[in-house]
Amino acid sequence: MTAAALIMAGADSRQPAPAVETPPVSSLYVHVPFCARKCDYCAFYSERANAKTIERYLDALGRELEMFAPRLKPQTIFFGGGTPSLLGAAHWERILTRFDQFGWTRAAEWTIESNPATVTLDKARLWRERGVNRVSLGIQSLSVELLEYLGRVHSRAQAFHAFDLLREAGFANINVDLMFAIPGQTMAMWRETLAEATAFGSEHLSSYEVIYEEDTPLYERLKAGQFAVNDDLACEMYDALLEAAARAGYRQYEISNFARHTSGDATEYPSLACRHNVNYWRGGAFYGAGPGATTYVDGVREANLANTVKYCDSLETGRRALEYREQLSPLARAGELAAFGLRMNSGWPYARFRELTGYEMRVEWAEEIKILEAKGYGVSEPDRFRLTLPGLRFADWAAELFLRVE
Amino acid sequence: METTHIRNFCIIAHIDHGKTTLSDRLLARTGTIAARDMQEQLLDSMDLERERGITIKAHPVTMMYQAKNGETYELNLIDTPGHVDFTYEVSRSLSACEGAILIIDAAQGVEAQTVANFHLAMKKGLEIIPVINKIDLPHANIPQAKAQLEEIFAITGDSAILASAKEGIGIEEILEAVISRVPAPKPTGAPSLQALGFDSYFDTFKGVVTHVRVFNGELRAGMHVRLLHSDRTVEIKEVGSFNPKPYTRPALTVGETGFFTANIKSALDVKMGDTLTDSKNPSPVLPGFQEIHPMVFSGIYPINTADYEHLKTNLAKLQLNDSAFVFQAETSVALGFGFRCGFLGLLHLEIVQERLRREYDMDIIATYPSVIYHITLTDGTMKEIDNPAFLPEVTYIERIEEPMVKAFIICPNENIGDMMALISEKRGSILQTETLDARRVMLTSRTPLNEILIDFHDRIKSITRGYGSMDYEHDGYAVSDMVKLDMLVNSDPVDAFSCIVHRDKAESRGRALAAKLKEVIPHQQYAVAIQAAIGGKIVARETVSAFRKDVTAKCYGGDITRKRKLLEKQKEGKKRMKAFGTVNIPQEAFIEVLKA
Ligand SMILES: Nc1nc2c(ncn2[C@@H]2O[C@H](COP(=O)(O)OP(=O)(O)O)[C@@H](O)[C@H]2O)c(=O)[nH]1
Ligand code: SF4
Ligand SMILES: [Mg+2]
Repeated sequence: MTAAALIMAGADSRQPAPAVETPPVSSLYVHVPFCARKCDYCAFYSERANAKTIERYLDALGRELEMFAPRLKPQTIFFGGGTPSLLGAAHWERILTRFDQFGWTRAAEWTIESNPATVTLDKARLWRERGVNRVSLGIQSLSVELLEYLGRVHSRAQAFHAFDLLREAGFANINVDLMFAIPGQTMAMWRETLAEATAFGSEHLSSYEVIYEEDTPLYERLKAGQFAVNDDLACEMYDALLEAAARAGYRQYEISNFARHTSGDATEYPSLACRHNVNYWRGGAFYGAGPGATTYVDGVREANLANTVKYCDSLETGRRALEYREQLSPLARAGELAAFGLRMNSGWPYARFRELTGYEMRVEWAEEIKILEAKGYGVSEPDRFRLTLPGLRFADWAAELFLRVE
Repeated sequence: METTHIRNFCIIAHIDHGKTTLSDRLLARTGTIAARDMQEQLLDSMDLERERGITIKAHPVTMMYQAKNGETYELNLIDTPGHVDFTYEVSRSLSACEGAILIIDAAQGVEAQTVANFHLAMKKGLEIIPVINKIDLPHANIPQAKAQLEEIFAITGDSAILASAKEGIGIEEILEAVISRVPAPKPTGAPSLQALGFDSYFDTFKGVVTHVRVFNGELRAGMHVRLLHSDRTVEIKEVGSFNPKPYTRPALTVGETGFFTANIKSALDVKMGDTLTDSKNPSPVLPGFQEIHPMVFSGIYPINTADYEHLKTNLAKLQLNDSAFVFQAETSVALGFGFRCGFLGLLHLEIVQERLRREYDMDIIATYPSVIYHITLTDGTMKEIDNPAFLPEVTYIERIEEPMVKAFIICPNENIGDMMALISEKRGSILQTETLDARRVMLTSRTPLNEILIDFHDRIKSITRGYGSMDYEHDGYAVSDMVKLDMLVNSDPVDAFSCIVHRDKAESRGRALAAKLKEVIPHQQYAVAIQAAIGGKIVARETVSAFRKDVTAKCYGGDITRKRKLLEKQKEGKKRMKAFGTVNIPQEAFIEVLKA
């Protein structure tokens, strides 16, 4: 049995068995579905942790990773959540040992998402010693009242403390997450958060506008008319972000992502960009383990059940816990790839796109490229098409144009 | 059947006073339909009719009734439409009868439609049988209903039959009264067949099925019959009646009511209200014929130009069943190729549009409705205009006349002030105020048709918290100071939104329309300027600000599918919008502005 066939076991497989010569998959995402408490804006799948569920989860995760192992040679690993840092040192010990056994600890980039309230020096040291080399710190805001408003578990002081502690543990690649356009956030508050956050001197910065997801307390407050969305202010905040990031020496490489460039060629992205995420936008294969995680291998996208108990139930009986599985036609897949790849400042090199999809972007999307250029939202360069800075603000529209609905 | 044993009658009532329920009772009592087969509200056959609780098509039903005197009678119940828009249909149906049952809800009393229908029935010289219905209700007020009969209609209260259609009380009395009070039909004395075609519907196999009342002679299959107003001769294929399903009869003789078919392909080929006679030995026309005139016009356009032929086919299908609906091709600068459609009234218009959208699944845009204006030009010639786009330059216009209606409004006493204010806001004048009973008055007003088209009825309902009612009849034309109001979207006029309005109201109407459009036009890449202009002068302006961005969410590997589906949905949604230059206007905008 080939590795791929083994992985497919249990999934309803409409796909013919892939060729024997299957390239290894070099990206792994692990979802840790636990949070100390639910943030008011969050629609991600996560739940309160309890010792028994965590044990079950770790077992199930181990089984799932085993299924991936034959074909997985991770160059990038990303533990996201939820709140991975919520797991205790003993849990991590288990996970890291398992990774060691798989021979996965030499990944070029290995990130763990952390909440400032739950990082400890012990844990950070453990991570660092066992091969983790990047931490993404979910600071979101440095304003006391906004942290409170968002229902974050951490305090402003904890944000500063956590960052120092990560440095102390030896992390030389840290991302800071920030949110803007939070209800009640003024421009002055945002500028102050930006100034303080950039002063951390992290290698990477991610910053997103608040989203109002249905079924969240924040959305209820919006619907109840407790505040109004101010698009103009959100735009100005985004401008301020671009400005502050540039001033602090970051290069923007995607709509919400900024990184320092320290060496080599920066045509595609700065050297400290998050490779793991770049792989998503470039349509690379990846495995996703854990409840709600998505896998994308051989052009097939599969999502796990976003429910820890069901996820465990399924894996305990030796079956993957799939929620859905989709495989697009070649053209639809190419459209999707074009659409999401354009979120990167470097756009799409034609040659790379052709290699990946078989389509010539300039031919298949000639019309759409023209529309975007006419608006000043896109530029065709000799080797690539990319969105301009104003165009990046309309990346959803550009994506809509490039998508090919079947 | 001998004419002495035939009765033709109809039931007239204000909506919800119990016409359908009573009709069903009569069918059941005469054994025309077994009680257990009765589908609720048998006579309202179209879904839309049922949903809105109104009857649009008139269905004549033939019932055999054995009276107390032991004799069997053929009773033809001719149902009539129940909405103000369909006055012509009502009066045609009334022409087929000798008598009318006038229902009054014992709890509600006389309402506006009761009055309007009573007037029509009196004009046709029908014998009126008043029925006070719903006497089972605890708050039924019989003395008051009787008093209203006397005061408003000069009918003695004692002649009224007390009934409950729901409980089956008074049903036999009503049937007996139909026999004793409604005159039997009398031959006209003409030399040959005279019959009135009063309605029709389309049957896929038989073609047009025309509802007919024979006034003289007889109608049988094989006859060659001349349609005097339509000016054509047809060969009768089949005659019959409804019970309530159609059944064939050897002939329809003097006084009888039923249907005929004659291989007629389109409702347009037979004018409603036409007189049928023997083609070899013709008799004169029956009195009272009126051409059907659409009163309200609106352009209907496909959102996707490619759907033009499809739309045309579907409009033609609707017309097969609805000869009052007319359409012809027209073009619009903003909307491209479409059709100018004529309707009896706003309800009729809404029904046609709704059927196109719902039953035929068409994405359409309808332009702002217009009445027919009489334009006298400076050179003395007169033009009829139903489309603002064709209104001549002001310098060539001597005067404009607009159609008027006489509106009957019934409202509780405490709402008189608000009602008068509403009538004056609608440019109406009050002709008469009558006290109906201790609680209510009836206002008779003369008001421009164009003012009552849109929200008059709704406003009355809301002022009176549902207790008011309104009906109207057409009342000629009056000179008026009308101007054309244009709506511009990014400086381009969108003729779908143009309308002809009174000068005094043009500005406020322009502002209201601009505000409404601002609400319904989604943000786009560029700012969208919405302006209202009267003769080139801008009177209102709103701006739909441009998006400054459209991405907010982060998007990593796990988000892609959801995000893609969302964007795909948006993309499909835009296909259902009409593009005006760079501006996308959703279909809903065209529906919403009607309500502005
Ligand atoms: N209590 C009572 N309700 C009635 C009576 N006749 C009709 N209704 C109710 O009044 C409503 C309107 O009746 P319908 O026959 O549809 O009225 P239409 O609009 O005149 O055809 C329905 O809910 C009937 O059930 C009656 O005699 N007594
Ligand atoms: S910590 Fe992250 S995953 Fe957990 S509730 Fe807050 S935003 Fe959601
Ligand atoms: Mg009814």
